[in-house]
Amino acid sequence: MIQTWAMLVDAYRELNAKKLFWITLILSGMVVTAFAMVGLTDKGIKVLVWDIPVPMFNKSMIEPATFYKLIFSNLGIGFWLSWGATILALISTAGIFPDFVSSGSIELTLSKPISRLRLFLTKYATGLLFVTLQVGVFSLASFMIIGIRGGAWIPKVFLAVPIVVLFFSYLFCICTLVGLVTRSTIAALLVTVLLWLFFFGLNATDAVFVQLRENSTLREKSIATRVENLEKRATGRILEKRQAAVDVDPSATPAADAPVTREDLEAENRLLPAQWKKLADERESVATWTKWSRIFYSIKTPLPKTAETIDVLQRVLISESEMSKFRAPGDDDEVAIGEQDEVRVSGREIRQSTERAMKSRSLNWVIGTSVGFELVILSIAGWVFCRRDF
Amino acid sequence: MRSSEWAIDLTHVDKMYRGKIHALRGIDMRVRRGEVFGLLGPNGAGKSTLVKILMTVISPTRAEGMVLDTPVGHKPTLARLGYLPEHHRFPEYLTGGQVVDFYGAMAGVPGEDRRRRAPELLELVGMKEWANTRVKQYSKGMRQRIGIAQALINDPDLVVLDEPTDGVDPVGRRDIRGMVQRLKEKGKTVFLNSHLLSELEMVCDRVAILVQGKVSSQGTIRDLTRDSLRYVIMVRGDAPAWTSEYGLRAATGAPGTTMLVQPSDDAEAIQNVIDRLRSEARVIVSVTPVRESLEDLFMRAVTDPTTGRAAAPGAALEGRAR
Repeated sequence: MIQTWAMLVDAYRELNAKKLFWITLILSGMVVTAFAMVGLTDKGIKVLVWDIPVPMFNKSMIEPATFYKLIFSNLGIGFWLSWGATILALISTAGIFPDFVSSGSIELTLSKPISRLRLFLTKYATGLLFVTLQVGVFSLASFMIIGIRGGAWIPKVFLAVPIVVLFFSYLFCICTLVGLVTRSTIAALLVTVLLWLFFFGLNATDAVFVQLRENSTLREKSIATRVENLEKRATGRILEKRQAAVDVDPSATPAADAPVTREDLEAENRLLPAQWKKLADERESVATWTKWSRIFYSIKTPLPKTAETIDVLQRVLISESEMSKFRAPGDDDEVAIGEQDEVRVSGREIRQSTERAMKSRSLNWVIGTSVGFELVILSIAGWVFCRRDF
Repeated sequence: MRSSEWAIDLTHVDKMYRGKIHALRGIDMRVRRGEVFGLLGPNGAGKSTLVKILMTVISPTRAEGMVLDTPVGHKPTLARLGYLPEHHRFPEYLTGGQVVDFYGAMAGVPGEDRRRRAPELLELVGMKEWANTRVKQYSKGMRQRIGIAQALINDPDLVVLDEPTDGVDPVGRRDIRGMVQRLKEKGKTVFLNSHLLSELEMVCDRVAILVQGKVSSQGTIRDLTRDSLRYVIMVRGDAPAWTSEYGLRAATGAPGTTMLVQPSDDAEAIQNVIDRLRSEARVIVSVTPVRESLEDLFMRAVTDPTTGRAAAPGAALEGRAR
């Protein structure tokens, strides 16, 4: 315990000596201040004393508390902490392990009565202190602002601390492994940022495929409904005609009982073949996008889900009912493929359907598999650290 | 002698790096409790590798033996060891006092003991006034002094100092020698690894010379140089004609004198020579017993007797005869 505490205090002293730590904290303070300057009015938003009319953002559309929670999770966490502050945190912490294992420094620590594994894990944990302190301060300030300005005191805001630290740890474990193997801060930072961008790209592509799949599914449903109606109407008319024929000539009864064939429908409504083809094409599209989204889902499974981990906070903070009242930009648009396309699906439907699909992915999958990735990387790094001659 | 009387008792210590560089080739070494032991050797002889094995920084390919009565590599025993590595690097954001405290904590020393011992040690190494200054502002010698203080914070039974006088000025060296002496008086065992043979000669009870991964010789400096003892008689004038009768070698001494060297430690044999010189009324300027210096011993150990050349620096490459 003496050693763990000493390493924790040492990590704090190291952070305290880093200008970047204080710069990040000041920037966080500025983000929170900006956050506090924005208010919600009946007609739109208010920045300090200036009223800006925004049809989508006003008290009639969204509750003030939900508004602040959305700003906190989307801008504060989703943008600032998971991008801006994370980049600064990586720059600050990328050198922790290369410095730790550098010649002249590691001998002193390894010659102490502490096992290498414990030393490694404690050092790793103290490496997360930067982000823990930053998010802790940010969450506390946000908690106060949501409470004072939004009128809702939401302790769940502090869930940002474990969630953002978890998200950062996915990247920090890569940084640790590369830093240990290469003993180079630049290499550790470069590889981590590149992999982070790769995960981001993978996640963005996956989200696009899910959206395309949901769009196609909604279109397929719309076309199927239309075809069903056309078929129903055509069938009705065919049966009426057969009945009229029976009324004129009773010997025609067997023909009246014969099932309505595709040819009968086609003869009755010349538009149906085109609709059938459209439905078949859309079903093929659904199958294609489903296949691709499954492929990307499989590729993502063993890798860390950085963006989805951050989205967990929104899942926890903002309920379905709160979100359903909220109208995002593009919700009122109708999405069609080309000008000739008569199938129209609302942007809101696509957004909500995509959100539902993304949220249907369990927390076990989002966090469990990401933590699994981290454990594998940490095991390799730990093995390297324990086995290496320094 | 019971094994518990040895602070370090090593046998068959081997280290092969990546199957290519055979850094240590069966080291057998014993360091008595309470003595100051010096490890000598040319660059690349394996001295630092051996020290790092003792401190668990490097794992040996093979090692038998004990350190403070526990097997080599036993982590809890390190709480009883103090270590100053060569080319050490302390975190630059810490002050000298914080360095001592941090490494004390890492050695498992309770806070109360650290708070009591740290000022004493800082005073001992002459750094009390600099305790609150950051390490990055220290000179090489000051860092070395802080390094010694941190090595002693856990009141160790065995202190391993790797090049402790590196970068230290003559006053500092004298201070460090004094500290080593005081540690010995307190019953601590000091294991010194240094290039400065004169320093070692002044403080070490016993030494070991490592050459290309093997212990070439070990023992007290007196024992190791026993065979080199000779008597030098300085007489005025030329060498007598009978010099060779007594097995003496004549050499030119100071102006107007001749040195007669008897290449043995036989004190009785020299009496006859003195009697004859006196009977011939020759002026005897001096009679001096001469012993090899540690440097002579070192050079003899590292010199190949067949070629007469000093051993090349570096460890032995596997498969290459050296």
